[in-house]
Amino acid sequence: MEACGLICSLLLILIPLAMALLVGSWIEHRHLRSIEQREAALAPMLVSDLGSYPYSASGGPPPQMIAAEVVIACDYFKAFLASWKLLFGGRVGSYQRVVDRARREAALRVLEQARALGYNAVCNLRIESADVGGNTQQSRMPISAVIAFGTAYMAQETPAPSRSLVG
Amino acid sequence: MLVVNTETIPGYRVVELRGLVQGNTVRAKHLGRDIAAGLKNLVGGELRGYTELLTESRREAMQRMIAQAQQLGANAIVNVRFSTSAVTQGAAELYVYGTAVVVEPETAVAGEM
Repeated sequence: MEACGLICSLLLILIPLAMALLVGSWIEHRHLRSIEQREAALAPMLVSDLGSYPYSASGGPPPQMIAAEVVIACDYFKAFLASWKLLFGGRVGSYQRVVDRARREAALRVLEQARALGYNAVCNLRIESADVGGNTQQSRMPISAVIAFGTAYMAQETPAPSRSLVG
Repeated sequence: MLVVNTETIPGYRVVELRGLVQGNTVRAKHLGRDIAAGLKNLVGGELRGYTELLTESRREAMQRMIAQAQQLGANAIVNVRFSTSAVTQGAAELYVYGTAVVVEPETAVAGEM
């Protein structure tokens, strides 16, 4: 009877963890695939963090600022594993992936909005993290909230240099 | 109203500086979003409730900044920057500021052969 109770309580812990691991990993993988596809589709756009409107073309619509934000949370299992890492130090890969996904997703949303409005270039792209109060004593869920904003403008059609959105 | 986050606008010339303009808003998420976010924390992924919270805040703050610039008689805002802070668990403040200016299109000098 006692062993049964012990096994039950163990399962009660393990099953949500396993579910979080499976579903969380699948969600992360699917999101990364989506990001890569959309980055490839937006490759012709000229993106920079210069304030000087490189290759700016005269005429056309006036430049316009575009902003986008995204908030991404880490799944429970990875947060559970990472909390052990926090005791011993070292690089926390799962947190890094969350922040990376949020950053790339926010930048992609800016570019997609710019393209939808008919622009083909974005300059002065700034990516900042927003504080939405996810890191308090009660909830140690790693949350990455990112705001990306830049100015969309029309650029001349130049042969595209090779560039990547990935930092 | 032209809004950019650079200091200059190609094709336009800054004629007059009207001053610093700003807009901010503090928004709290409601309980429904909080519960959904708590569930989402189990499996990770995007927290749409929080994202919408930030988006609404941004739109409102921008509108306030633009209204302030219009009051000053400006027709463009340059060098716009964002700043955020968490006021409390579940409430975020978004602050946007820039410089209101009066711009006019640059008269085309080129074309004279």
